[in-house]
Amino acid sequence: MSDEKVNMQIQSTQSARIMQMEDYIMKHCLWQFHSRSWDRERQNEGVLSKTKQLLCDEEVAKETPEDRCYWVDALSLTEAFRARFSWFAEMDKESIKVLIEKLKERIDYVTISGSLNKELTVARY
Amino acid sequence: MPHHEFECSSCIPERKSHAVVKGEGEDLTSCLPEGHLLTIPGTISERGCAYCGAKHVIGTPMKDAIHMSHGPVGCTYDTWHTKRYISDNDNFQLKYTYATDMKESHVVFGGGDLLKKNIIEAFKAHPTINRMTVYQTCASALIGDDMEAIARDVLKEMPDKDIFVCNSPGFAGPSQSGGHHKINIAWIHEKVGTVEPKITSDYVINYVGDYNIQGDCEIMCDYFKRMGIQVLSSFTGNGSYDELRSMHGAHLNVLECARSAEYICNELRVKYGIPRLDIDGFGFEPLSDSLMKVARFFGLEDRAQAIIDEETARWKPELDWYKKRLTGVKVCLWPGGSKLWHWANVIHEEMGVEVVSLYTKFGHQGDMEKGVARAQPGTLAIDDPNELEGIEAMDKLKPDVIFTGMRPGEVAKKRRVQYLNAHAYHNGPYKGYEGWVRFARDIYNAAFSPIHQLSGIDISRDPIATDKGFMTRKMISDVKLIPEEANVEGERPYTGDFDCVTKLRGKVYDPELSRNHEQAAV
Repeated sequence: MSDEKVNMQIQSTQSARIMQMEDYIMKHCLWQFHSRSWDRERQNEGVLSKTKQLLCDEEVAKETPEDRCYWVDALSLTEAFRARFSWFAEMDKESIKVLIEKLKERIDYVTISGSLNKELTVARY
Repeated sequence: MPHHEFECSSCIPERKSHAVVKGEGEDLTSCLPEGHLLTIPGTISERGCAYCGAKHVIGTPMKDAIHMSHGPVGCTYDTWHTKRYISDNDNFQLKYTYATDMKESHVVFGGGDLLKKNIIEAFKAHPTINRMTVYQTCASALIGDDMEAIARDVLKEMPDKDIFVCNSPGFAGPSQSGGHHKINIAWIHEKVGTVEPKITSDYVINYVGDYNIQGDCEIMCDYFKRMGIQVLSSFTGNGSYDELRSMHGAHLNVLECARSAEYICNELRVKYGIPRLDIDGFGFEPLSDSLMKVARFFGLEDRAQAIIDEETARWKPELDWYKKRLTGVKVCLWPGGSKLWHWANVIHEEMGVEVVSLYTKFGHQGDMEKGVARAQPGTLAIDDPNELEGIEAMDKLKPDVIFTGMRPGEVAKKRRVQYLNAHAYHNGPYKGYEGWVRFARDIYNAAFSPIHQLSGIDISRDPIATDKGFMTRKMISDVKLIPEEANVEGERPYTGDFDCVTKLRGKVYDPELSRNHEQAAV
């Protein structure tokens, strides 16, 4: 198989996996839907960066109350991903990191930059 | 954008952007209705006003305060007969309704003296109640009665009392949501931090955004207490005025109803550094996940798991009995507020119910985002619908049941669509494991009620069979099941008590659970 075809296959697999994870997040989570863009940016970064660390068996900071909140949401997400998507078990840590970074890009797009919600940029609550 | 135009609203082109059909592959970047805008003139909205949002939704579930409306008596319409936010102090706030009863003469000459007289009279009539919330209405706002000054004046005479003034007249926002906003912000700025909390546990939360509909809040607080967690305040279902003044003492805000209470949680985060954790209290899996998340925050995972295991073992066989029978039942999810997204996916996953439409009367686009994200493809999502649009949607979608409020519910009945009260519930609570089964039972009773057959008969014209008896619900619902599916050992219809809330009151919890021994040892 040519390199181009291999790359296309990898991307196609990656897209399919991101779609599955996005569907889970949209249907089961709430942390991604805070009311303003700045808040969603914090939330997506906080939860998904910790999810990435947990999936890669890395140390996760949870000393501050806010970190603990991100951690509990991330842990819940990690468990759901591992239970629902068996392909995680076959992935190495570097591939997982790339996948979750791509997932974060997608969630940022759906909930922030591409969102049709006009209230996201309102300055006051 | 997959907008949906109602035939009945074709003369109002602006309405088209307020309804969408979620197509295959659609997401929030292509499919979201307009929302949280002033109602378009001529559409005859069914929304409530900002005063209604502040008083009837957020304020009045607070149980140990007199809730006084400064305005015409008609503004107090939504009280004990329409609201079911019960409380464990004999429903004081539901039984007694107060209004200053403004008349034309007060509008002309001012209503300040009238308000002062009413506040003092009400406090004297209830000498054990020392707290009051006074709500502005359109009438008192338009003439500019200085309610804060009057409250200060009263407190000079009655220094043991406390009064909260809520300036949220009917016109203060596009809908009742504007009132949610105003009372949340006013409460945090004026009242939070004015009473020091009595801390009885090493694990302390505010439970925010539950209004104790038929006991929902008490069910959830029971789970928290079983884990040793102190619920410092419940905002505002079954909540106490002074506990709500001490919200700053919690370690964590557990948020249930996003838009109505998001404001106060965010302000508590900014002002006091208390983080916010959003949870779902409806459905076995979301609730289990939520309890575990709160537990993990404090390091109490084992206790949460014990509750999840015990409750699931007790109630899952009953949920399964209903799921088999409810699979494929079509519903319109028209609750008005947060249940739009609390229920959109989980009733599909855990009861097999197909949600064909969802709407919100006053929700923000953020609320609709959650609903659309959780809905199945093909769902019609409507912002701020009116009665004609509701009827057109029912005729087109042909749901078996709609979950909505009393007024659209009565309209639905006349179209021979069964209605389940999504605001006040039929036989709630619906939160908690047992509550979720009660909800399934209510859907089952609605969807398979034999009254469907009878209601379609025109007794002035149609022949009525005299040789057949009435069918039961089970005869209708089980006809699609093979015997092996219908009769699984252990599965059964709801077997709980008629009242599953009162027994929780006065329940004693082990005080040792409130202590963090690891922390003490350090």
